[in-house]
Amino acid sequence: MAEEKAPTTTQFPGTIEPQKPRLKKAPEFPILEKQNWLIHLHYIRKDYAACKALIKEQLQETQGLCEYAIYVQALMYRLEGNIQESLELFQSCAVLNPQNADNLKQVARSLFLLGKHKAAIEVYNEAAKLNQKDWEICHNLGVCYMYLKHFNKAKDQLHSALQLNRHDLTYIMLGKIHLLEGELEKAIDIYKKAVEFSPENTELLTTLGLLYLQLGIYQKAFEHLGNALTFDPTNYKAILAAGSMMQTHGDFDVALTKYRVMAYSVPESPPLWNNIGMCFFGKKKYVAAISCLKRANYLAPFDWKILYNLGLVHLTMQQYASAFHFLSAAINFQPKMGELYMLLAIALTNLDDSENASRAYAEAVALDQSNPLVNLNYAVLLYNQGEKKKALAQYQEMEKKVTLLKGSSSLDFDPEMVEMAQKMGAALQVGEALVWTKPVKDLKSRHRTTSANKSSNLQQPLGSNQALGQAMSSAAGFGKTTQLPAGAGGASQFSKPPSLPLEPEADPAEAISSEVQEQRETQKSSLAPE
Amino acid sequence: MANIHTFSACLALADLHGDGEYKLVVGDLGPNGRQPRLKVLKGPSVLTESPLPALPSAAAAFLMEPHEPRTPALALASGPCVYVYKNLRPYFKFSLPPLPPNPLEQDLWNQAKEDRIDPLTLKEMLEGIREKAEVPLSSQSLRFLHLELGEMEAFVAQHKTQPIRRQTVITTMTILKKNLADEDAVSCLVLGTENRELLVLDPEAFTVLTKMNLPSVPVFLEASGQFDVEFWLTAACRDGNIYILRRDCKRPKYCIELSAQPVGLVRIHKTLVVGSTQDMLHSFTHKGKKLWTVPMPAPILTMSLLEQRSRGLQAVMAGLANGEMRIYRDKALLNIIRTPDAVTSLCFGRYGREDNTLIMTTRGGGLVIKILKRTAVFGEGAGEAGPPPAQALRLNVPRKTRLYVDQTLREREAGTAMHRAFQMDLYLLRLRAARAYVQALESSLNPVSATLREPLKLHAVVQGLGPTFKLTLHLQNTSAVRPAMGLLVSCLYNESLYALPRAFFKVPMLVPGLSYPLETFVECLSDKGISDVIKVLVLREGQSAPLLSAHINMPVSEGLVAA
Repeated sequence: MAEEKAPTTTQFPGTIEPQKPRLKKAPEFPILEKQNWLIHLHYIRKDYAACKALIKEQLQETQGLCEYAIYVQALMYRLEGNIQESLELFQSCAVLNPQNADNLKQVARSLFLLGKHKAAIEVYNEAAKLNQKDWEICHNLGVCYMYLKHFNKAKDQLHSALQLNRHDLTYIMLGKIHLLEGELEKAIDIYKKAVEFSPENTELLTTLGLLYLQLGIYQKAFEHLGNALTFDPTNYKAILAAGSMMQTHGDFDVALTKYRVMAYSVPESPPLWNNIGMCFFGKKKYVAAISCLKRANYLAPFDWKILYNLGLVHLTMQQYASAFHFLSAAINFQPKMGELYMLLAIALTNLDDSENASRAYAEAVALDQSNPLVNLNYAVLLYNQGEKKKALAQYQEMEKKVTLLKGSSSLDFDPEMVEMAQKMGAALQVGEALVWTKPVKDLKSRHRTTSANKSSNLQQPLGSNQALGQAMSSAAGFGKTTQLPAGAGGASQFSKPPSLPLEPEADPAEAISSEVQEQRETQKSSLAPE
Repeated sequence: MANIHTFSACLALADLHGDGEYKLVVGDLGPNGRQPRLKVLKGPSVLTESPLPALPSAAAAFLMEPHEPRTPALALASGPCVYVYKNLRPYFKFSLPPLPPNPLEQDLWNQAKEDRIDPLTLKEMLEGIREKAEVPLSSQSLRFLHLELGEMEAFVAQHKTQPIRRQTVITTMTILKKNLADEDAVSCLVLGTENRELLVLDPEAFTVLTKMNLPSVPVFLEASGQFDVEFWLTAACRDGNIYILRRDCKRPKYCIELSAQPVGLVRIHKTLVVGSTQDMLHSFTHKGKKLWTVPMPAPILTMSLLEQRSRGLQAVMAGLANGEMRIYRDKALLNIIRTPDAVTSLCFGRYGREDNTLIMTTRGGGLVIKILKRTAVFGEGAGEAGPPPAQALRLNVPRKTRLYVDQTLREREAGTAMHRAFQMDLYLLRLRAARAYVQALESSLNPVSATLREPLKLHAVVQGLGPTFKLTLHLQNTSAVRPAMGLLVSCLYNESLYALPRAFFKVPMLVPGLSYPLETFVECLSDKGISDVIKVLVLREGQSAPLLSAHINMPVSEGLVAA
């Protein structure tokens, strides 16, 4: 066949016919683009070794004139992380073919990756002159402006990118800008549109779910997170967020099954082990809880939320000395939270250091804005120390907070706390605290985890045993020595849903005031990876 | 090994001899893409083999005319030409029409031909054209622009008589039915070229029937419909977009932006399935609306259509880099075929006398042929459904130990005492640390001077095995601007053990920031294998209190011990 072929080709009537005689006079130039298709095929198949060999050969043959070969070489350099080299090659492409907007776009992209956003913007603007209707240019310009913090310009560019062509990435960036500006509602609108456009993008679904979570719209949050998990049952963020919601509702076993998937794929995630620990805590498996939390702490030693939870669990286990260490470490990382000081005070009270305990309470009261528990616990301590007047002041402060909270949301207060407060009111001979009447009726018998343990906490300072304390607490009118089972303070659960939404991103502000709330923490940590 | 290195585009199945026995046509690139060959296979063996002038970019079998015998012709795209074979004999060679050269460029070279223009001016003018013109320069001019000054004259002399030409190459090829939808109807060739055009060729005369423009270079091409009635062309391009063109429009009608490079394109009825470099399969309607996305476990290397006519099944096959070949119907995974090597090209259809045959070639040059059982039915659910397997694994939580329980109990009993003891020790520790620090400051025992006026840093290195050691003191002035002058160094040591030639010397002026190495030799006088501390003091002239000091623990002199 080979022999046949050669003669036949010359007989082909065709366009090459007239060139034949000239071939002898001067060497013909190879077609510069002749191997481009093969270079491209190797490149998209990620067969970089073959691609490089071919490019080298091609560049030798054309003496470096093959624009596409240089272009792909530059792309591969960039993939390998040699951004500076890739930039130089792209620039030489732009010299070979100044009319091609693609070359300029890649130059700009490399500049962007090198962090030279202003230079990148200039080059993108050049490219935009060559190609008006390119979403990529608009999108990347928007991203550059975002990093330069020109949010308005960035939004304009991203919106025009969306008008040219809709891409998930553009939606994500636009949403991010709104979040950076603190406009949660607008971000949600953007993500809603994005989910409409591409309903199977798990990243979009998860982000939207987390945003709803921050706003406290749990139904929608769970819906979107659930959707994300349907499409990708191993999605890290969605599992963490959905799991933490389950924990809030007490579905510890379901949450644990979900976490197992993650523990397999991401075994070194601190928030994961924190959440697992708090699941065990909810199931009253304290030893397992401690070991999981300690693992989380080992993985993220500077995370105060984990330390907070560790402190809480140790308080529950009556290991006050350990609790003290974890809590004081947490305070070192997060010195602005009243509840932490309150827990520290409880630990100190149990360690017979009432002097430091009252200092810690004073700090807690000064920092805390809305948690009546802090004041109640302080009142109990003051009362036990015999400082009735100060105790009364704290008690009144607590009543104020309770009235405020009742006005703002329909929470039910922890029954133990309510009971404690009533006893305290009686002991202080304040008129039967009307504040409580309503909530008491509303109380659901929520499962309280370890509050029983805790209630014993504060008794100890009074030097009486728990049974006695409880027995006596019913007789409210006793003197100082009466134990108001101050425990309520330590243990009561006080749910503050509004706390969560306040932090838009990573910063999970609120530690949980009591054990049941820990799960909340977990959510926060789950938000953190964003 | 069959030693076949090719892509899916270069595989075609056809009844080349009209005897009902389907052959496999392979445009083989050869190992390392050096020996392009046309191979025709029957069963597992090569029937004929012939060398090709250039690397083949696509192969297709198509019917040229409606007359009997209806044996299909074979078209092989390579470089700027399509080679057409009939009965496996060369029949026709079609070359892409040359592109019109830039008129300005043409004009310049004509002037050069008549020697009315010198090479330098020519170069400048050509540069100008390159900067602005719509039509790119020919390779001759581009080559000329890259020449050094000395070479230009000769180049012009050699090439000025040659007309300038611009030639493009074929990047992809497919077939489109001419006017009937039948299985064996006359088909046109559709070519995609490097200069962003799609050409439809007449099957008999090989003239260009229509020409369409694309915004980018096509990589993969799919055609449906009939040329004379209504047709759709789908082109996946190098800019990562997929353009959909219809009859009677010269420009793309719809555009799908992938934001990644497409690695394969398959059309099933009215839906498109595209594999992207992000390891995803995307599906779109023929109007560009996104339908679904399925992630792949590894990069996709190639894709092809699986069509089982007897059961009306159409599915997408994707060869992955991890050696799997996955078959999808819509989103549902139908089957996974594991191969010993990564599959680089795929083809499904009638081979030999068997209707449903799967042909795969692997990266190492292997050829795998699988025949589908005639009774086989593809069922869904072969893929991973339900919860991921990791959900059943137990969490790795350490067990409760005896020690842990004991310690917990002890803490519960004696928590207060532990806390107090700890606090007490902590205070003591702090006190001691503070005391030691104050003492060090007072006696200048530290290697960093405490006075603000003379911020100095000293660090000493001892080199050697003994009995002679070299002691190097690195002295640095850490103040921002002020040089340190009038400093002295004094060494205190046990004179029965060590001898120093210079135990007391002046320090040169210390410029801020630089580290000054001061060297001195130390001779060990003892042969008993004992060592001692040498104290180095840095002093200010006229002051007896040292600014700083260092205690150097001398090593044992090994030289003497060994002797």
